[in-house]
Amino acid sequence: MRNGEQKQNKFASPLAMLIYVVLALVVLALFSTSHLIRLIMPYAIAYTIPMLMTALGGLYSERSGVTNLGLEGLMLVGYFACALTIRLTEQTLLTAALPLGLLMGVLAGALFSLLHAFASINLKADQVISGTAINMLASALTVYLARTIAGSGNVRIMLGIVRQDVPLLSSIPGLGTLFFTQSYWSTWVALAVWGASWFLLYKTSFGLRLRACGEHPSAVASAGVNVYRMRYFGVTMSGALAGLGGSIILITYSGEFNGTVAGLGFLSIAALIFGQWKPLGILGATFFFGTATTIANVSQVIPQFGVIPPVIFKVFPYVVTLLALVAFSKRSAAPKAAGEPF
Amino acid sequence: MKKALYVGLMVLAIALVMVSCGKKESATATTPAATPAQVVTQPAPAAPAAKPAAKLKVGMITDAGTIDDKSFNQGTWEGILKAQNEGIVDAKYLKPSGTTEADYLKEIGNLYDAGYRFIITPGYKFETSIYEAQDKYPSAKFVILDGEPHTADYATFRTEKNVVAVFWAEHESGFLAGIAAALQMKTGNFGFIGGMEIPAVQKFNWGWQQGVKYANENLGTNITMLAENYLYQGSFDNVAAGQQIAASMFDKGVNVIFAAAGGVGVGAINEAKARVTAGKDVWIVGVDVDQYPDGMLPTGKSVILTSAMKYLDRASYDMIKHELAGTFPGGQKLNLDATNDGIGIPVQNPNLSADVMAKVQELYGKLKNGEVKVADTQLPGLFK
Repeated sequence: MRNGEQKQNKFASPLAMLIYVVLALVVLALFSTSHLIRLIMPYAIAYTIPMLMTALGGLYSERSGVTNLGLEGLMLVGYFACALTIRLTEQTLLTAALPLGLLMGVLAGALFSLLHAFASINLKADQVISGTAINMLASALTVYLARTIAGSGNVRIMLGIVRQDVPLLSSIPGLGTLFFTQSYWSTWVALAVWGASWFLLYKTSFGLRLRACGEHPSAVASAGVNVYRMRYFGVTMSGALAGLGGSIILITYSGEFNGTVAGLGFLSIAALIFGQWKPLGILGATFFFGTATTIANVSQVIPQFGVIPPVIFKVFPYVVTLLALVAFSKRSAAPKAAGEPF
Repeated sequence: MKKALYVGLMVLAIALVMVSCGKKESATATTPAATPAQVVTQPAPAAPAAKPAAKLKVGMITDAGTIDDKSFNQGTWEGILKAQNEGIVDAKYLKPSGTTEADYLKEIGNLYDAGYRFIITPGYKFETSIYEAQDKYPSAKFVILDGEPHTADYATFRTEKNVVAVFWAEHESGFLAGIAAALQMKTGNFGFIGGMEIPAVQKFNWGWQQGVKYANENLGTNITMLAENYLYQGSFDNVAAGQQIAASMFDKGVNVIFAAAGGVGVGAINEAKARVTAGKDVWIVGVDVDQYPDGMLPTGKSVILTSAMKYLDRASYDMIKHELAGTFPGGQKLNLDATNDGIGIPVQNPNLSADVMAKVQELYGKLKNGEVKVADTQLPGLFK
């Protein structure tokens, strides 16, 4: 199994590296003047983080062998739970309501994903159908609950996170202005989660077993590992992280639950594929999506971008994803047993 | 595989139950049995006429978004509810499953079949469906807000005797908000974020610019306006884009943004809240309804400077009253503007000083008597 993976890496690495280098160059070329960097970077990062968390959740699930198309719905559940928690507690807890909201969003996402886990692991249901059902159920259930509990389909919170410059680091020339100005604390939490996940999945025996469940579950089972339990862990993590992603949308840029996460969950799945089911890959892919979307959004305000029609920026990430999928289709790094019940 | 199907169906069933529960919960939103609309096209006047005490049954169909959208749907519905609370009508609203002409026609048919002969549709998106419905249901009366019936290709405009089209003078509302904001700030840099580039939103924009210009020329203010800060995002629901556009504008030194953009405006308001909390002096001007509560901060202050309002509830309530009095102005295009108190800024503006309010009142009077005129077109010198 390990040999197989190394072989695959040999194939994938140079190509992936090439793409990253090209992307980095494109991004740097776009941000050639410091003025533009200052204008765009904080918002691009803010837009990237919810997708990164959700795609990372998808990575856990698919690496353990369960396809999860329900990420959109799981995000929505977290989005809603976080909004409701903050709405109910912000009067008494003030800013302490924000971390509590995040926590509840994570828990709600994890709980909701158990439905998917039960259907696809215990009942061996078709994971595509189950994931789709999760999406439909989530959008109906959250609006229903919002109406019953909060009295309106839109749940607004009073105040999200206020952006701050990171002390010391923001004064580093170049990099400082690029990454450490005007950042939300949730961004650093999310990046820590991303780093810890990379370590867990790639540097521990637990991670090896989890990934093995997605490649060749019967081999793992014969080694005495409980595949069901591993897959439950994978799916629950995907729910928790998608819930975190949804919660971060609320407390950073939206400030209001409005019954939809606008397709970010599906974009995350695309980022997962584009990123070849690897932590660094999805970081690059989501950042790429986030930056392109942000440029599309603000291009009207910034005359330097005005020379290119916004529609070009808007379709850019999708076109590149399509091309990448075509390029990668022969040597896709998808977990071999993802989508197959054990 | 069979098992898979069962599980899928089970979860789907639960989802469906939830959906239908959700609809029941929302007051009167139960959809009547979806009988094909064509079946009951011949009017049955005998039934309502037999009971002399029968109240007028008023139906409404929601536009994109929910009944509690804090905007168009909600404002229209509140006017209907006012009439219902007075005990003069029975009201019900339906939420179509989509925003196409077919979706709207289906719900019009549903309302008609359930005996609703007075149907109010908020929004220009209903224009083509009402064009069809006015002939299909001659015994029903329709009120369309912000639009007039026409064919899909805009070739034929026709408003039958059973239809009233109601328009607002958004430009006058935007003008007053522009005056108020300029007077309150004295100096600054003003921007505008629109939703879709449609007449109602454009008129807000042009009126706003004329208001700011008027204040600069006649009232001694010094407000900058740059073309790049006047734009239409292109949707009414992209919250993320609203936040990012507002953030970029604020970064560039804009300190007041007029957001006439629905959900896009929600993002802009959220960004303004974060900036005010961080100690910046930025403001949002709200739209359609008094958005003051939407910009509320934990400190008890709001980032909403004032709002350019359209009195949405007025249209539905007044039309119901007209119908009951037998003076339904069928076939007409009505304009709600300053002369009939159809637009304005909120009565209470905690963020505006008394002097500013007095000055705005004075100008409102001038709009009323025609001394000051606001154009509803893009005059030379105005941004798109």
